Amino acid sequence: MKDEAILKRTAGERVFRLISPMALIAGLALTLCWVLIFVYAPRESTLGLPQKIFYLHLPLAWWAMSGFFLTFAAGIVYLRTGKEQWDAAAAASTEVSLVFACSAVISGSIWARASWSVWWTWDARLTTALIMCFVYAGGLILRSMDMPPARRARICAVFGIVAFLDVPLVFFSARLWSYIHPPSISLEPEMKLTLAVCLAAFAPLWFCLAALRMKLDLDERRFDALRAERLSREERRSR
Amino acid sequence: MLRAALVIARKDLRLTAGRSAGLAQAAALGLLLIFLFSLSLVPGQRMSAQGASAVFWMASAFCQVIIFGMLYGYEGGKGQKQGLLLAPIPVQSIWLGKALAGVAMLACAQALFLPASIIFLGQELGPAWKAGLVVIFICDAGIAVAGSLTGALAHGQTGKESLLSILVFPLLVPLFLGGIRVGSSAFGGSGEAIGDWLGICLAFDAVFTAAALPLFPFAYSTDE
Repeated sequence: MKDEAILKRTAGERVFRLISPMALIAGLALTLCWVLIFVYAPRESTLGLPQKIFYLHLPLAWWAMSGFFLTFAAGIVYLRTGKEQWDAAAAASTEVSLVFACSAVISGSIWARASWSVWWTWDARLTTALIMCFVYAGGLILRSMDMPPARRARICAVFGIVAFLDVPLVFFSARLWSYIHPPSISLEPEMKLTLAVCLAAFAPLWFCLAALRMKLDLDERRFDALRAERLSREERRSR
Repeated sequence: MLRAALVIARKDLRLTAGRSAGLAQAAALGLLLIFLFSLSLVPGQRMSAQGASAVFWMASAFCQVIIFGMLYGYEGGKGQKQGLLLAPIPVQSIWLGKALAGVAMLACAQALFLPASIIFLGQELGPAWKAGLVVIFICDAGIAVAGSLTGALAHGQTGKESLLSILVFPLLVPLFLGGIRVGSSAFGGSGEAIGDWLGICLAFDAVFTAAALPLFPFAYSTDE
């Protein structure tokens, strides 16, 4: 029954048609970002060139966080509806957001080296980002575990919800532990514009990667369902 | 719901008391960890209060994995989980019952870890030890609430799924940070912002209790 359900394409999957145009938009927007970062935005007087990491670091962190929220939301919808499409959406969102979060941590570490002369310090935001990476990496390991698919999907949905609820607590506890990350930065108007374009440019990139991953996941599930169907048909025929 | 939870907790505690292994196994693992960390000190050296507090909570964290694995394992036999789920009680009372039994068992184990930390890691109780005991209780409640939910997730047909309980360790970070900081004050370290840490630990307990109540029926079911 479950296998038959996955074989039907849902109306929501029309969104996959947007992958190609969105990929084109992402490519153009990211090219514009590089021009703005290295040609238009002024060089920061204290940090110099390493400050340019900021234009990538912040969008990566923001879209990772937004993606984790989507994992949380998709988890809730999956538990309510039981539709595999939502499990695939949560899986894709977790994977892409984890790549973004890890990239934000790495870019932040490079920036910290230039700014604070250390690769790592137990600051609230750094600690929160790292723990978030550990938590969601655990979620990905869960997805690769050998257990019945329905149980795995349910466990992953519950895990995705609990993990997202934990993020503010981790942040506040890490903030109380130690805090040196700047809460806000004053920027020149050119810098603000560059940052706004970078933030917007990472949206189609995130969408393309997540949609491609989700499509691949659903195709894989359909292939498994078809193979199972064929095997059972052959078994019936051989009897 | 509370009455059913108390019945389940009592049943689990009686089962634990009637078995030779179980809690002893969890406590032994924690004590071994404390002892192993004491080997990092040269004779006469004392571990820092914060370090000792961190070792204490690490021992507690591994202990809770064994405790909740064991508590959910009691219904591992054929049809036992189904029997429990078919009982005319709210399914959340299973979560609460296991959490109550878990917190009692964890407190018993910590009653051994605390003197072991003082003896092996060269600690002394500071003026904030009463606040430390309150925070231990609040952290234990949070560990039990989250541990009971993750124990239900990890409870499955395969042994491999027990790894799941360890994967969720990072979720417990807010509690551990609070426990370590206040524990450090209790061991005579610098006392600081105990009230703030208490607030974070209480918030953790509240958030995980609120999340576990609707999520537990999905985590602990028999329809696979």
